[in-house]
Amino acid sequence: MDMLSALALLYRRAGFGATPTELAQAAALGYNGMVNKLVSGLQQPDSGADAIPTPTLLQPPFYKPGALNTPEARQAFYKTLSDERTAITNWWIMRMVATNNPLREKLTFFLHCHFPTAISKVIYPVYMYRQNQIFRSFGSGDFTQLTTAVSTDPAMLIWLDAGTDRLPDPNENFARELMERFTMGIGSYSEYDVRAAAFAFTGWHLNNQTGEFAIAPRLHSNLPQTFLGHQGVTTGQEVINIVTNSEPSAKFVVASVWSRFAYPIKPTDPLVAELASAYAKDRNMANLLRAVFRHPNFLSAGSASGLIKQPVEYVIGALRALRVSPARIPPSKPPLSSVLNSLGQVLFDPPSVGGWPQNEYWLSTSSALARWRFAHWLSLAGDISPVADSPVASRVDAVSEMLSIQSWSSSSGSTLKDAVANPHTLVSMALVSPEYVAN
Amino acid sequence: MSDSENDDIWRMDETQDLPPTASEGTSTGVSGGSGLDRRKFLELAGGFGAAGVLAGALGPKLWESFFHSPVKSASQLKSTSPSKPVVRKRPLVLVTLYGGNDGLNTVIPYQSSIYASARGSLAIDSAKVIPLNNGYGLHPSMTGFKKLWDSKQLAIVQGVGFANPNYSHFESMDIWQSGVVGNPVSTGWLGRWLDATNSSPLSAVSIGPTMPTLLTGEKVQGAAIPPGTLVLPGDSTEQLLYSALAQLSSGQPHLLAEAAAASHNLIQLSIQMGSTLSSTASSDPLHLKDANPSSLTANGGAALAIANGGGGQSASNVLATQLSIVANLILAGATPQVYSVELGGFDTHVGQMPTQEKLLGELDVAVTAFVDAMANTPDGNGIVVMIYTEFGRRVSVNSSQGTDHGWANDVFIVGPAVTGGFYGEPCDLGRLQLGNLVFTTDFRTVYATMFDKILGVDPKPFLMGSFDTFKMV
Repeated sequence: MDMLSALALLYRRAGFGATPTELAQAAALGYNGMVNKLVSGLQQPDSGADAIPTPTLLQPPFYKPGALNTPEARQAFYKTLSDERTAITNWWIMRMVATNNPLREKLTFFLHCHFPTAISKVIYPVYMYRQNQIFRSFGSGDFTQLTTAVSTDPAMLIWLDAGTDRLPDPNENFARELMERFTMGIGSYSEYDVRAAAFAFTGWHLNNQTGEFAIAPRLHSNLPQTFLGHQGVTTGQEVINIVTNSEPSAKFVVASVWSRFAYPIKPTDPLVAELASAYAKDRNMANLLRAVFRHPNFLSAGSASGLIKQPVEYVIGALRALRVSPARIPPSKPPLSSVLNSLGQVLFDPPSVGGWPQNEYWLSTSSALARWRFAHWLSLAGDISPVADSPVASRVDAVSEMLSIQSWSSSSGSTLKDAVANPHTLVSMALVSPEYVAN
Repeated sequence: MSDSENDDIWRMDETQDLPPTASEGTSTGVSGGSGLDRRKFLELAGGFGAAGVLAGALGPKLWESFFHSPVKSASQLKSTSPSKPVVRKRPLVLVTLYGGNDGLNTVIPYQSSIYASARGSLAIDSAKVIPLNNGYGLHPSMTGFKKLWDSKQLAIVQGVGFANPNYSHFESMDIWQSGVVGNPVSTGWLGRWLDATNSSPLSAVSIGPTMPTLLTGEKVQGAAIPPGTLVLPGDSTEQLLYSALAQLSSGQPHLLAEAAAASHNLIQLSIQMGSTLSSTASSDPLHLKDANPSSLTANGGAALAIANGGGGQSASNVLATQLSIVANLILAGATPQVYSVELGGFDTHVGQMPTQEKLLGELDVAVTAFVDAMANTPDGNGIVVMIYTEFGRRVSVNSSQGTDHGWANDVFIVGPAVTGGFYGEPCDLGRLQLGNLVFTTDFRTVYATMFDKILGVDPKPFLMGSFDTFKMV
């Protein structure tokens, strides 16, 4: 793979695509230099995204006893929550569009997919916002600390009912999904372990007045459990430490990261074992990401055509390429969240604790229509001057540069040539081409 | 770019009531086969009276590539693979309940003392249960299903499941949707049927933005129908270019070929069903809007907004919305043989009672209204609705007034042509394993019945084995 193609791929996977200027600057740094720049950006301030104002959100305890006794009061309360939900969705979309440290926003999005938590059950936007900030501040560090922070945060406590674990028959929801979906993968623990972990999490709850995590000693089982071969386990923190430091977890986490940044892979793949042995030494997510981007297979042909853009990646990448600021979209338009809704990926509202599937899942006729509607609108609303100002004969090159696409299939290439007369149509078609729909 | 110029093209909302426009063509929604019909496409493209004008406007090469592209191998160019015209027999409507509905509180062994003691405060009051027979009764919110039962249109297959269940939502749903136990495959049980019958992607459609595994084949993936109108963006030139873009080049990587196929299938969908979908988008075939709004969400206090496991979280009845689209297509004589709709939120680990009551109420209202609307129509009276979920729930209530993941469950088969009653074998509450209901009836028996009686094909190749069938249809 040539240098520009490699850098363009890196920018798509570690961010939301490169502008021509970014690509030129990256070429000066070289591939490894660019990887280092992106990874070190994980810990640095983000002048673009951090300039987006944080929405004002209701804080716990949310309402005074008796304050919601009338239908009018309840209606007003739900309206506030609904407006806040729109506000945090726009806030995150705008962050991703404006970011100068794209990997940090991309990792945040990855972690939302890895620890899928939905506002439809969590209800309070401030809790989703707090979880989102945990992804940003803990996401690039130690995976055990990240898992602990996410698990003891209100959003997850509500989402998987961990706050309601009670004796004598604690519900197993959080214990099971912690192992199956977040840390180890199915097959690496027994039903006995699920049960033992559920006991260790008893008493974990959310204090509804303060919105803070707490453990109720009276509700906590101190009965020592044997969990994954470890004896005498009594606390939830021990369970989190054991699962995140287990051998299956290293493979599980590596496979999850590789599958979303490079191409889908199973934890049993030898490539996973190779990366997992390095990851197991520190369980540091920034180091893992660097290793993924530096791995030769990341720059393979299979990697380059190994992912379809998820709707969020598609919409954000296109907005960035056409320099559309979400803040400037007139209020008369349906919000960008409704575009994502029609594409089947609503931020802060994954369909289940399994999150969103990949690739073919996004290639339905319904999402093809939604992509086209968005692309058509964007070609009229966005800045297409690099294409429109080009002579007709070089417009295909101009749109390729604008969208950072290095090569076209023969059918896409000839279709785009047929479209050059109208730059809006040309851009719209480039945005719905298989080459751009792929990541 | 002014607002008004943008208004029509960014229409993402689900409740549009635009009349069909010239750009949608005038097709009736019926078209045999999947090959692009030149006349219909011209209607679709609109504005051009003669092919020559369009060809002239776009250049002969593009025109040629669009209408005369050679058919490539099916796997390479699945969407234009030759396909037989679909002979509609009985439309099969699959309703997937995500999250694991608690079957024990849906079809309730209300006379069992084991049930009463294991469920404790979560046991449905036997005085409120709607009695059927054999000691079983329906959840109190399922009054519509009782009427279907009385008119012999409701079949309940009891004790359905598979060996070695593992409590995982995802693996369990994969097993249900793929129809394969033990060795995960990426195709769905009806996706393999699409493949083997060389069907058009429009033979099996899902309502919503994405495609469930069950309609995904190796070569053919069913089509997903967006809610609302189906109006293609852009002018005729852009629409024709879009169609050209959906032609595949040889040697395309798999995912790019899939992306092109989805675009191609969208054009097909628009030609065949676009005008029907658009002209009926605001209609009310299930006659629900006249009804008391509270009947749409059986529990008026649904704003409690507790959605266990996500989805199913709406002020209105999302299942009824999807089934309205299915009804409109069937009434218009559309060709799909299989429809897929879904309702989520059944993962009731905590506070199960109000959540399940709300969801079962929505299911009851939506399915009953759908069956009623179909019953006396020539195109709809053959419909068969199959309702399933990924697993049943643990028999004992947990300490959070909920239930954890479990094993066997019941499957509902509903429709005017269905012979109602109990099928299968009820689970023995006296012989639980690890606190779970043990299955008596392999779920593939239900699928074999659908293949044999509804789709009219030999089930064996699709299920990789022989299974009995029920004489229920």
